[in-house]
Amino acid sequence: MSNSKLYKGSLTTIILKLLTESDKMYGYEITQKVKELTKGELKITEGALYPALHKLEAEGLLDVEVKKVDNRLRKYYKLTENGTKETANKLEELASYIATMQALVNPKFNLE
Amino acid sequence: MKLNKLEIQDLYAFTRKHYVVYYDLQTELVDHLANDIEAMWEEQPQLSFEDAKTKAFKKFGIFGFMEPIEQKQKAMNKRYMRYLWTELKKWFALPQIVITITMFLAFYLAFTTDYAIYFVFGFYILIAVWSGYKGVHLKRQFKKRKEVSDKKWMLEEMIFRQASGSSFFLLLQLHNVFNVSDGFSDNNYIVLSVASIFTFLVLISYISLELLPGKAEELINETYPEFSL
Repeated sequence: MSNSKLYKGSLTTIILKLLTESDKMYGYEITQKVKELTKGELKITEGALYPALHKLEAEGLLDVEVKKVDNRLRKYYKLTENGTKETANKLEELASYIATMQALVNPKFNLE
Repeated sequence: MKLNKLEIQDLYAFTRKHYVVYYDLQTELVDHLANDIEAMWEEQPQLSFEDAKTKAFKKFGIFGFMEPIEQKQKAMNKRYMRYLWTELKKWFALPQIVITITMFLAFYLAFTTDYAIYFVFGFYILIAVWSGYKGVHLKRQFKKRKEVSDKKWMLEEMIFRQASGSSFFLLLQLHNVFNVSDGFSDNNYIVLSVASIFTFLVLISYISLELLPGKAEELINETYPEFSL
């Protein structure tokens, strides 16, 4: 990842957004999905992912489900009703942040 | 290539060695490490299990599992407080509010009599003794549970071992009560607040030491879907 600090504040939004697109996901799957979607540009570190997931779970935005896969147990996360609502808010916040940054970094000059 | 049962056991031991004591977090981290190791094996089938494990662990950064452990603790505290709060709210709605009001009035009346200060001491000691007794009883119950299964669950520990914590914390805060002079019953505001504090203390103690432990099974199952697996 080129600059982890810039992405840090958006980690929860990224997780929530990914979960809207699939029914349920487990931790490792999330890291891989992000890597795949951003073509390796953004790598979510393991040390940051689980704390974020547990925080979202404690806030009631995520629900968990456990299944036996191969020889082990796998913990899946999925959005709760509140989580779905919060995702919409967070995405809106992120969009307006991107627009603001866009205006600051790349202002469009109007000559008329 | 998939990890076998022995290797999974080894990963559980590995998380324990790195101070992950609770089973739910161990399970999640074991699955993560296992997935990563299996992915590595697809590209380098000759890589040994030990080397792959070390590589997978390194990705957690220099603090290893510390951050997930800390955050999990915070998240579980939050969950416990939410359960406490949900129960507490019920005592301010019908029908329980009748009991709350009656209790408050009883405290209030007792604290406006000439024997106010004795009542304060009396109730304080009563609550402290009951909380102490329940706390010891719950710890014993917890020990018995652990004889059946040695898996550790953070919420279970909170319900059984730390339950008396909130009561004693409040009791300690209340030592100010003893600094109140004999004539405190003349000041209506002080009497009102002391009566409110006592009502609150009784409710919190009853919820954390009686109600939540009674519902332990239900709460633990709700929190950990793997508990019953």
